[in-house]
Amino acid sequence: MTTAPSTSGVDVDALMNEVRARIALRRETGRYSAGVQAALDRPLPGGAPLFTDDLADPLRALPEVIDADLTYDPRSRKRYAGPVITLARRTVIWLLRFWVGDIVERQDRVNRLLYAAIRQQALAPSPLGEARLAAIESALARRDRDENAANLEWRYLAARFSGVESQIRAQAEPFVALFPRGGRVLDLGSGRGFVLALLKEKGLDAYGVDIDGAAVAESRGRGLDAREDDAEAHLRTLADQSLDGIYSAHVAEHVLPGKLVEILRQARRVLKPGAPLVMATPNAATLTVSAHTFYLDPSHRRPIPPELFQFYLEVEGFTAVEVRSYARSEERLNEDGVPDGAIRDNVRLLNRVLFGDRDYVVIGRAPTTPID
Amino acid sequence: MATVHHFHPTLVPADAISNHVVALHELARRAGHDSRVYAIESSRDLDGGVQPYRRLFRAVQADDTLVLHYSMGNEVFDQLVKLPARKILIYHNVTPAEFFSGINPHAALHAQLGRKQLATLAAPIDLGVGVSDYNRRELEAAGFARTAVVPLLIDWTAYDAAPDPAVLAQWAAARTKILFVGRISPHKRQDDLIRLIAYERACVDPEAQLILVGSYRDQPQYHGRLRALAEELGVAQAVTFAGSVSLAALVAYYRTATAFVSLSEHEGFGVPLLEAMRFDLPVIAYDAGAVAETLGDAGLRVKGRDLAEIAELVGLVAERPELRASLALSGQKRVAEFSTARVEKRTRDVLGL
Repeated sequence: MTTAPSTSGVDVDALMNEVRARIALRRETGRYSAGVQAALDRPLPGGAPLFTDDLADPLRALPEVIDADLTYDPRSRKRYAGPVITLARRTVIWLLRFWVGDIVERQDRVNRLLYAAIRQQALAPSPLGEARLAAIESALARRDRDENAANLEWRYLAARFSGVESQIRAQAEPFVALFPRGGRVLDLGSGRGFVLALLKEKGLDAYGVDIDGAAVAESRGRGLDAREDDAEAHLRTLADQSLDGIYSAHVAEHVLPGKLVEILRQARRVLKPGAPLVMATPNAATLTVSAHTFYLDPSHRRPIPPELFQFYLEVEGFTAVEVRSYARSEERLNEDGVPDGAIRDNVRLLNRVLFGDRDYVVIGRAPTTPID
Repeated sequence: MATVHHFHPTLVPADAISNHVVALHELARRAGHDSRVYAIESSRDLDGGVQPYRRLFRAVQADDTLVLHYSMGNEVFDQLVKLPARKILIYHNVTPAEFFSGINPHAALHAQLGRKQLATLAAPIDLGVGVSDYNRRELEAAGFARTAVVPLLIDWTAYDAAPDPAVLAQWAAARTKILFVGRISPHKRQDDLIRLIAYERACVDPEAQLILVGSYRDQPQYHGRLRALAEELGVAQAVTFAGSVSLAALVAYYRTATAFVSLSEHEGFGVPLLEAMRFDLPVIAYDAGAVAETLGDAGLRVKGRDLAEIAELVGLVAERPELRASLALSGQKRVAEFSTARVEKRTRDVLGL
């Protein structure tokens, strides 16, 4: 129910929220029982439902209306002429019975046919609608394939461009210390399980989730707890404040911005107060990354500038949000032989902009008081 | 000075349309016109008397004004529009037939005829007046070329009448009293008010009472079924059909009630909404027909028919003096916009009286 705005100084929205809260409470305490609901839904006794109610739901009402019996009482209650009138009416009815009967019978057939036809129309899939639906579905599937390069030979791509285990572990190591010893930690986008193994070694009760079934199978093969699921969908299945930490490397750049916001929102919900969220992604501030290496993965959506990622976490309620970059570029302009002065400053600037750190993590902590 | 002739098929006491006929008659008289009231059937006392409608055919002159009040079809209108005078039709709305279909075939038939006839009156009528813009739009849709809105002319001083002490005494002890004023009729949805009181008593106040003021003479079938519904829901003791009441009793009901709740699905104007506000009674009304127009910014207008929510809203209004106070304040402001003087001026300007 919505109420119209009122200038009487009455905050109608607040009032309606209170009303709904009260109804919820009455349901909880059992006051608003099934019996009360039955009273609210009780049909008006003593005859057909109100026609306006039937009009609101005609397909439900039609069969009852078609089957309703009509009775006509030909008796007249007039004092003297009554019996004569009654006899006259009965005679007319008797004389016309076959004709009226035929009309009624035909009308009844028409009614039933119409009802059946309307119902068929309402329930049957419309050929045009089906065709359009199929076209939309196949267009969506095509788009999904095109956007994610689902038809690409991914094994070969991984073989050529993926990082090696030792490097991935080394990069994750400084952040593992953020998680409380023995805590329940989720590696969101756990891939082949390299970091998951590290977390386990460090004594954490860690499990992983990844959308790539093959990678999950590989992790399991190594005795790790990994599950195949979508990041957002998995977070939604978790209870409030049920995790001591979330680590998520190279997931954010694979999802659309709205989905990233939803993942952050869910993460805030499932993390215990103060628990850390650590998310790593390519460093968009380094131009050789954001203009070049970022696109070595065709399923990357768009580079995320560190300031923006930091903002995402802050606006979603995380506290003590910080950004740390890592993975220094191997190729850099040589600063050693350059004399002090403008040229050296310029070389340093170029190194920072072109050959800065290749990845960064953004770290935030779940708020100690939930926002809503 | 030219004569003003007023006509409505029936004139009865305590009825918004009859009141309006009389109010316009008195206004015309005060303005110095010779004014006369006609009806087919009348049980109304009137200064100067109500004349049989047949006299119209002899009395009306070309430079007279004939004010036809329209709320139901009647073949007499077909004859009256042939009279030579300047003809004004005041449209009080005709309740659509589907509200009566299957429950009161007689009313359904008349409603249907009423709407059909309205279209045939469009050409011969000089000015169509809706008592709300909702009504005026229906006139336009029916083919009326010249239309205007003039609200119902209400003599607010009448409500200064002392409340009936018997009614006040009868209801003094009850706590939550939900009031609705309007004839018992399917489109007013008193059945939903009965369901609502069942919730109210089960969840909010076990002593809550529903008072239905309004004639049930015209809708015996619906009235009977309402009683049966109240029985089935076990709230027969909590539902009072007060019937048609005197002005003093009406004032008493407005004064004693906790809230005025309307779940009506069709209103051409809704005088009781204003009356309730006149008595500082909080108004909660389902938004249908002209309800939004009449309430303006006052009252609590609900767009859905979730009876549990409306019942809880009544509970909130009942327990919050500050909420009642602000609703009363905005209600008084709204009533002032329908003040007798203001509407009189508007009536004179538009009707040329």
